[in-house]
Amino acid sequence: MGRIVYAAAMSHVLHPPYYEKNVGPHGKRMVEELIAVVGEMGRELAARRPDALVVVADDHLNVFSFDAVPAMCVRIGRSVSRMAQQGAIEFDRALDGLADRYPLHEDLANRILEDGLEAGFDFAASWSAPLDHAFLSPLSVLHGERPMTPLVPFWVNCFVAPLPSVRRCFAAGQHIARVVANSPWNVGIIATGGLSHFPELSLARVGESDPEFDRRVVGWMERGDHASLTALTSKELHTTGSHELLNWMVLLGAVAPARARVRFFGEMGRIDLAAVECIL
Amino acid sequence: MSRYDVNVLLYRLKKDAAFRERFRRDPADALSAAELTDEERAAFVRWNPRRLNELGGSLHLVLSIPDLGGHS
Repeated sequence: MGRIVYAAAMSHVLHPPYYEKNVGPHGKRMVEELIAVVGEMGRELAARRPDALVVVADDHLNVFSFDAVPAMCVRIGRSVSRMAQQGAIEFDRALDGLADRYPLHEDLANRILEDGLEAGFDFAASWSAPLDHAFLSPLSVLHGERPMTPLVPFWVNCFVAPLPSVRRCFAAGQHIARVVANSPWNVGIIATGGLSHFPELSLARVGESDPEFDRRVVGWMERGDHASLTALTSKELHTTGSHELLNWMVLLGAVAPARARVRFFGEMGRIDLAAVECIL
Repeated sequence: MSRYDVNVLLYRLKKDAAFRERFRRDPADALSAAELTDEERAAFVRWNPRRLNELGGSLHLVLSIPDLGGHS
């Protein structure tokens, strides 16, 4: 019987130059502190010797276009490439210098997809979607010089309304946990994305965050208050700029009723950075 | 579905270097076949990312078009 051996969530622009440019020296220092913590978490992940690593993250209109935006999508196939973006700016510079291809755990991905459809989750499947900073920035810090764990990338639509509900994301995580339990594998699962930033996805409000909301949400995670977490509405996430919490909801569903331990929490102004580890 | 047209153009500006260069040279000409309202067209031609965002353009697209990003 398989089990989830490691579970964590973390911010996903682990790229000091981005914060240095957009926030200043204190932003750079804060993300460097976070990177050190995520590096320690990576060593703990490696010590659990996972056969596969499910990574729940979102697309930033890099991979999926307005032709079709899946609510949730499982990446299947044998390997996955790093997103190539000519003239990439801002957060996608975090991809510079990383490897071009990464292994997938094809069997686990297929089971999550196929059993999901059987169970009523209409996941999309992709054979070709590449990984942007939401996946590779935290993965590169977690793995350091170690070989990449075979991945199961799982996208949640966090930005193109209408979004999947918080409850549906939590339920998808519960589904992933059932698949793992019925498998022979030890599996890690991470969710990525910031706490509040980009409220209302408004360019005029870039630079604002909602630390009070973030403290409340992280407190619920620490207490294992999943009822309060799953009662969050899409409107609250949009207003506070907490869209990427949908990724974290998948993780929380996968490990419920586990509580989280906060490894890092930093209020930067533009965004609140965090890393939490679930106590399994 | 104007929001769709605005975002399709923003996506193309991000991903299609040749189109981006054509837009930089002559924005009005590059957009001549696009189905846009006058207000949307003006926001593109004058490159007003904030207005494009207010008109439904994805924040992540207006922030990440090479050399035309939303930060100013």
